[in-house]
Amino acid sequence: MPSSQISRSLVNLIGTLLRQPQSAVGTILVIFFFLLALFGAQLAPYPNPNDQSHDVRQSPTLDLAKLQLGEHPFGTDRLGRDVYSRVILGASSIFRIAGLGTLVSVVLGSALGLFMGYQGGWVDEILGRVIDATLAIPALLLALVLVGIIRNLEFEAGSWQAGLADNVVLLVIAVLYIPIVARVARSTTLDIKTREFVAAAEIRGESQAYIIFCEILPSVIPSLVVEASLRFSYAIFLVASLGFLGFGARPPSPDWGLMVNENRGGFYQLTPWALEFPALAIALLVIAVNLMSDGIRRAVQKGE
Amino acid sequence: MSASDRPLLDVEGLTISYRVGKCWIPAVRDFRLQLGAGEIIGLVGESGCGKSTVALALMHYLASNGRVESGGKLHFAGEDLLAKSNADMRRLWAKRIKFVPQNASAALNPSIKIGKQVMEVLKASDGIEGKAGYDAMIEMFHHVNLVDPERVAERYPHELSGGMQQRVTIAMALISNPELLIMDEPTTGLDVTTEAVILELVRDLIAQRDTGVIYITHNLGVVAQLCQRVLVLYAGEIMEEAEVHDLFEQPHHPYTLGLIRSVPKPGESKHDLRLQSISGNPPSLTRLPGGCVFAERCPLVVDICRSDKPPLESLPGERLVRCHRWEDVTPTLNPSRHLYGGHPIKREGLHPNNTPLPSLRGKGPGDGGPATLMHVTDLQKHFPVAPTVREALRRIKPTPIRAVDGVDLQLRAGQTLGLVGESGSGKTTLARVIIGLQERSGGTLELLGMDVRNSVRERSEDVLSKLQMVFQNPQNSLNPYLSVWQAIVRPLIKLRGLTPAEAEAETLRLLERVNLRAEYAERYPDELSGGEKQRVAIARAFASEPDLIICDEPVSALDVSVQAAVLNLLAQLQEEHDSAYLFISHNLSVVGYLADTIAVMYLGQLFEVGEARELFQPPYHPYTEALVSAIPVADPKQSTERILLSDNLPSAQNLPSGCRFHTRCPRKIGEICETDAPPWREGEAGHLIRCHIPLEELEDSQAGLVLAGGSEGAT
Amino acid sequence: MIHFLRRRFLFFFFTYLISSLAIFFLLRVLPGDPARVIAGGREATEEQVAEIREKLGLNAALPEQYLTWLGDFIGGDWGETIAFRGADNRDLILERARNSARLALVALLLSVPVSLVLGVIAGLSENKLPDVIISLLTLSVVSLPEFVTGLFLINIVALRWGRGALAESLGWWFPASSAVPATASFGEMLPALWLPAFAATLVMLAYISRLTRAGVIEELKRDYVRTAALKGIAWRTVVWRHVLRNALLPTITVIAISISWLVSGMVVIEFVFGFPGLGSLLIAAIERRDLLLVQAIVMVTVTIILFSNLFADMAYALLNPRVELS
Repeated sequence: MPSSQISRSLVNLIGTLLRQPQSAVGTILVIFFFLLALFGAQLAPYPNPNDQSHDVRQSPTLDLAKLQLGEHPFGTDRLGRDVYSRVILGASSIFRIAGLGTLVSVVLGSALGLFMGYQGGWVDEILGRVIDATLAIPALLLALVLVGIIRNLEFEAGSWQAGLADNVVLLVIAVLYIPIVARVARSTTLDIKTREFVAAAEIRGESQAYIIFCEILPSVIPSLVVEASLRFSYAIFLVASLGFLGFGARPPSPDWGLMVNENRGGFYQLTPWALEFPALAIALLVIAVNLMSDGIRRAVQKGE
Repeated sequence: MSASDRPLLDVEGLTISYRVGKCWIPAVRDFRLQLGAGEIIGLVGESGCGKSTVALALMHYLASNGRVESGGKLHFAGEDLLAKSNADMRRLWAKRIKFVPQNASAALNPSIKIGKQVMEVLKASDGIEGKAGYDAMIEMFHHVNLVDPERVAERYPHELSGGMQQRVTIAMALISNPELLIMDEPTTGLDVTTEAVILELVRDLIAQRDTGVIYITHNLGVVAQLCQRVLVLYAGEIMEEAEVHDLFEQPHHPYTLGLIRSVPKPGESKHDLRLQSISGNPPSLTRLPGGCVFAERCPLVVDICRSDKPPLESLPGERLVRCHRWEDVTPTLNPSRHLYGGHPIKREGLHPNNTPLPSLRGKGPGDGGPATLMHVTDLQKHFPVAPTVREALRRIKPTPIRAVDGVDLQLRAGQTLGLVGESGSGKTTLARVIIGLQERSGGTLELLGMDVRNSVRERSEDVLSKLQMVFQNPQNSLNPYLSVWQAIVRPLIKLRGLTPAEAEAETLRLLERVNLRAEYAERYPDELSGGEKQRVAIARAFASEPDLIICDEPVSALDVSVQAAVLNLLAQLQEEHDSAYLFISHNLSVVGYLADTIAVMYLGQLFEVGEARELFQPPYHPYTEALVSAIPVADPKQSTERILLSDNLPSAQNLPSGCRFHTRCPRKIGEICETDAPPWREGEAGHLIRCHIPLEELEDSQAGLVLAGGSEGAT
Repeated sequence: MIHFLRRRFLFFFFTYLISSLAIFFLLRVLPGDPARVIAGGREATEEQVAEIREKLGLNAALPEQYLTWLGDFIGGDWGETIAFRGADNRDLILERARNSARLALVALLLSVPVSLVLGVIAGLSENKLPDVIISLLTLSVVSLPEFVTGLFLINIVALRWGRGALAESLGWWFPASSAVPATASFGEMLPALWLPAFAATLVMLAYISRLTRAGVIEELKRDYVRTAALKGIAWRTVVWRHVLRNALLPTITVIAISISWLVSGMVVIEFVFGFPGLGSLLIAAIERRDLLLVQAIVMVTVTIILFSNLFADMAYALLNPRVELS
């Protein structure tokens, strides 16, 4: 198994990421948000996102100059919920949906792409055209339509669980990104396939599975890592946008996009903080993921 | 260069550094050079020795991560280039100093027409534009022998062949009548036939002018044929400088000697001698040794070489050498002493003249010689072409690309069949069809009497293990994510069915066979040099104990000093394992060294088959004759009249009628060549030539071109 | 080149077929009864559902339904809306598409020149200060989700800054809400276009300028740049005449691709600003379960995107002498 060489390159990658100031900031921020997502319930002062026991519309008590959090660091919203707790709790859903959606699409997409690229012929030709065709439909449009329909179906089936809306977004992300990842994996495979070590394996009479997974896959992984980080940043973008448009999580979920939507318009004049802090969280996370994925791309390209 | 003249280019103590991370690495150190007008100086060195760095530094055009260290001198016609501003340099580049790059197809702007790009030079150099500029350009195109210059001017670079592109870059350089011309490997990557044409052109054009030329190359043959003086560069330092005849006759530096000796000369054969090879690899620039940079690889090394850096000593006869022991190099020139371990082989028995020559028509085994191992008859590989709109509408099936078109071959156990031809001749396709990586379109392939299946996926493990391959590019032939051990152990388990314990022992044994220490087993390809990678690839090929190994240009990507060691290794392993090789190369000298029989391929067909020795003596097929005459021999005394072919290879989709070679043949006799396919004619010892001209006639007219004279190493 | 264009045309039709199949069957094959969804879900009576089913031809076999639907769409019969009180789908969509096109036009006119210039500057000064600043900007601020930048523009620029001394003029030029009547003329609409177009610009800016930068950096490394510089011509000329010609060619394709990107972004932007375009219509249609309208909107969008890709390919083929090779 070529795992030792791969883990060596992974260690190198992390080292390179932390050496550059931009990507180091991004990576550290992403890790910070990830920890929030994992331990949000323990870190939030009020672990129930719909805890309306506080006075409504309190101003933020956060004092950056004195480094004090105060009672309600980000204030409370018009229903008397602690915005600070809700922002912390919201990290987990965005990471779960965007992260798992990306993971599923990368695993299935790269398997599909490796197969298409190595196999070639008419299978590849047809699948490739279908992929190109699906890419012509803008992702957000497709996501809106899919989520919109599937949520209406829940209406009829009746037995669908309350948390299903989240999973719909996750599935939609996976479905949307599988062709994109497959295309990247396929083009890299086409390149690697012409390398002579693959011919050497064929001459040994190796099975297709061996050639794809042991000979080709390791060389495809760098471009998959780049693509995965890029997909992750788009996925976060998409989850936040869907949440904002009202097609993601449902109230009273502490979804950041949803929180922004619930507190805009006239409500913004009353409790600007209830919009600004979740918006800031989204902005920071998107920037951090972008910086990190840009760093990954640079590091991998440099390595080649 | 006469001493009274002020040299055109005067370089002294030039050190050039590159920034790697935060450090400046001195890539070239203490470089010096004096070039007179009209003189051609050759700058020879292997990859990574800093010769391209020197080229750009002499132009005073370094990338932003490179710099010339202070204290050096770089004077052009008495002017200090290092003190010049960018604007001043631009004026010099426009008119007086010109550069011819290595890869012409990349050096021309892909989206601008040729004419426009050349005219741009004229405008910058002399302010000539419009009609006058156009006329001057067309005239220059005539000088560089571009056919139909008006049409060439209207083309885009990708519409020209490699040779034509290189002519354009040469025209661009010479059109302003420069005083100094720096040529950075202008023929690397071109076929020998094209290379010969370009060299001839450079020689003629320079002879007509007073231009001083610095010609950079890795090819000693080119230097011997073209230059007056030679500088030998190694690991960023000048090892030796001398007049070209002196250098080849009496090299003073052990490295120069090694370089000269490691190139097989036409006519030298593995049966007569092992090549001399330089062991080891060049030092890393980040960890240069304190003493002589060559000490680690030098056969004459003594303690002082490791501790003290030798100075660049001036010797009589305008020579320079950087070696503590140069005086000890001369005696070793005696052919009986071999500095680099190459040695003549004196044996009785298996001499090529005693083994019967395999013939095309294949007398069966049992006629005294080794058994027939592989028998190929009428092998074809046609690639279908997608129809154009018009063809699709008229339901015409487009002509396929006939890459291999009816090849007969026979190979005996333990023998090497060399296959030569220009790029595009179909030799690599033939190899891939035989090994089963591509399916043949027609013909039969017999291996050890078994009819071998078409594709590698259908072949039995037995057949697979008997047939292996060594690839051209060592960079790509090993999986970067698998260690050396993993690469070799896999075929042992898969094809030979060894247990893991047996396979481990066998891996170490194989590494030893290819002269790699056991510790290499744990390394990954990125920790190996090109030559080491190729050794691993050879060990992997031998792991299944094959009867036939196809070697597709196995040494063409390697430096000459490494090349010789790999060739020796192949010869040695063949002797020990009695395996047969199908050895493919564009380099006739290399093929001539390793092969027992040689087949010459052109546009998908064989045109000559014969014993290796026969092939370097008349009669030749006119195509072989051109190939042989084009070899740049690393000996300035040996200059042959070159037969120059047009660099216009017909496409394999639109093959010429009759004899496929007639469009370029210098000996074409008439209409019959265009209408009738030529017959095979049989000469002495089974020598076969496919030509309309009778062999006697060929032999008479070709008497001058004999390259297989007794090789000096063997006497 | 003919070969290239033929391939592109074939691909165009194939893609159109695939996307129409996807759009049709996604809405049909999924479990559930579209007629019931349209009729209002569980509260709808059986008669209502049956009536809708009859009206939409849902009783026919699926392939037949698909062909009828595709034929109707190409023929210009896009059905009637349910959500918008029986207006004709085609009139509604074309009106909204026109509005969106105005917004897109302003956004493209703002973003393409700016992002090309930024991309070229960044590419020419790779890893130097201008590049670092532009890269950081495009990576961070500018790549934020459209609704974040949109809300920032509304709440900070239009509402807060717009309240100061310049309130009068600013308030007119940059209204916080872009909810203008859908039938307004371009001139009437223009003030309402600035802020949403600016929000869309920011997103496009990041995308186009980064690809331009990469193109310039790649071209600068090529050998022909050295050849041109060693002709002794000024560096400015080398960049203009040699580098940009090759570096900017692919941006034609990039701009075409970014139109698909813009379409996504405009859905959110129109929603944030309340602009009466195709995107806000789509959201309304989905919320009101008007499946026919949703299908027609997506088909129109895909048509626009495919045509812009086709035009970009043709332009690229005309401008690039090397296309024959591919």
